[in-house]
Amino acid sequence: MKKIIFLSCIFILAINISAQNEDEKKYILSTNKSSIIFSTLNFTDPYLSPLPYSGLGVSYNSDINSLLSPERTNISMQSKLNMATGLLLNPASTASMIYFGMNYGRGIQYYFQPVNGLQLWAGGLWDIDFGYKEIERNVNNPINFDLSTNLNLTGLASYDIHLQKRSLKIQLAVQSPLIGCMFVPNGGASYYEIFELGNMTNTIHFSSLHNKRGINGTFSMNVPFRYSTWRFGIGFKSLKYTANDLVFKRNELSLLIGTTFDFAKFSGMKNKAPKNFISTNE
Amino acid sequence: MKKYIFILLFSVVWLPSCMNEPTMQPNTNIGNFEALWQIIDRQYCYLDYKHINWDSIHTVYQNEVSNSMEKFDFFDLMGDMLDELKDGHVNLSSGFDRTRYWHWYMDYAPNFSSELIYNDRYLGENYRIAGGFRYAKIANDSIGYIYFGSFSNEFSDTNMWYIMSYLKDCKGLIIDVRDNGGGSLDNSEQLASYFFKEETVTGYIRHKIGSGHSDFSVPVEIKTSASKKIQWQKKVAVLCNRMSYSATNDFVNRMKQAPNAIIVGDKTGGGSGLPFSSELPNGWTIRFSASPMFNANMQQTEWGIDPDVIVDLKSTDQAKGIDTIIEQAIKILKE
Repeated sequence: MKKIIFLSCIFILAINISAQNEDEKKYILSTNKSSIIFSTLNFTDPYLSPLPYSGLGVSYNSDINSLLSPERTNISMQSKLNMATGLLLNPASTASMIYFGMNYGRGIQYYFQPVNGLQLWAGGLWDIDFGYKEIERNVNNPINFDLSTNLNLTGLASYDIHLQKRSLKIQLAVQSPLIGCMFVPNGGASYYEIFELGNMTNTIHFSSLHNKRGINGTFSMNVPFRYSTWRFGIGFKSLKYTANDLVFKRNELSLLIGTTFDFAKFSGMKNKAPKNFISTNE
Repeated sequence: MKKYIFILLFSVVWLPSCMNEPTMQPNTNIGNFEALWQIIDRQYCYLDYKHINWDSIHTVYQNEVSNSMEKFDFFDLMGDMLDELKDGHVNLSSGFDRTRYWHWYMDYAPNFSSELIYNDRYLGENYRIAGGFRYAKIANDSIGYIYFGSFSNEFSDTNMWYIMSYLKDCKGLIIDVRDNGGGSLDNSEQLASYFFKEETVTGYIRHKIGSGHSDFSVPVEIKTSASKKIQWQKKVAVLCNRMSYSATNDFVNRMKQAPNAIIVGDKTGGGSGLPFSSELPNGWTIRFSASPMFNANMQQTEWGIDPDVIVDLKSTDQAKGIDTIIEQAIKILKE
């Protein structure tokens, strides 16, 4: 009987030690911030029209952040995806502009904590931006594409407010283009000449603060509920760029609503899920 | 460090206002007049070529514009100003009217009658239709005749394959583009490609690169490729008149370089400037020639292209149901 009790104790201890090892191993969680954004839009595209167009837009934004490695907790990787659509009118409401946009970027940020409770992240993000604008009633210049790639400065300030029942996280994220290149045709060049005759002269431009400036900011608050964390906020975007004597502007004011959740990714042979995780993929 | 942060913030937040933006005109008659005048001044491509003193036109019309003018009167006045450009591609469009300049064909003999081409001597009643082409065998089935009334009509290689199969035993082919006011340049190139044996430079295009009246880009070649699927190797006559305009003018220009083609009829109407659109503060839209297109010798074709054989429609022939221009083309093709 003593032998049985002794062996049982050894077995339970072994299981506990194993479990403790699993617990002690650190896994990186990715934080996903998904939002639906409703915006007022104000575009000026002098290739299509000298007049400013204004209207409404809706977009989906996904922002995923994760630490570089369990050992490097002061550097995080970021990937962003934004898909947008909008409908804008000229000041006299006699013509409309349809807008579709997509932006994808990957970046890296450095973390530091200047004061207790306040977290700051600063870094860079490289992105690719695509926009399609159409004024249907135009002949030979009904469409203009926004095509650009940029290295952006990014920053994030995050502060936790502890209330009686829950903790709120308020965040201010900003992004500003620094250097890159962009597609801007001459005001008189038709897409027939550019794409069908292949005359790309003077359409690709180096961009930096001398000809492209802007700021994209979001002020948001994460509110945890019982089983989910919701995110509410306001956003602003102001972008102005020039090439070929044309000045383009894009201004947006937004309301956003979304969710925030953490997830872990396990795949491959060396990154298998711990045994206390169960999956349909086993 | 603080200094650099300040400079960076200054650059991001304040410098956008340093980019020179054109001033927006107010939505008044005077503001709309100024906006229209400026669009033409900066973007219209034929001011120097047509020897138009746009500054003096500003002076003349500025004196007639006032903010108290009625919309219709103001619109008509702007139409008169745009008529000074003598350009069929220039239109001012509002919700109630569209200005137009039609003297490029109205001041000339029509040289076309749809009644004639649909009589039994030519298309008759039992002609075939494919992709906007109306076609039949004429002159005792010895000549193929195709009437194409608009380059806005889409067509495919399959359409043309059937047409050329049907007409393959004919000695020659007539492509009639009289009274064809234009449409798509792509269609013009596609139709011309059936008559080329190899890719050929058939013209050039330029565009405005500045606000000066002669600030143009370096000319870029416009090539007409040879269709890889279908080629008409026999003689072809292209019939044109003053109403052969815009994309049709472009088609005639391309066919001038086709190896077995001859252009018969009247001078084309021209319209070689690729039109663009812009708009005024009141929402009216303005269409204007923006990119000049040239022939293979870098000569302007804005005022039209001369045919190889000039033929006018005779009223005596017309009275007998005979189209003088088609008859002349038949004669040339049978030689």
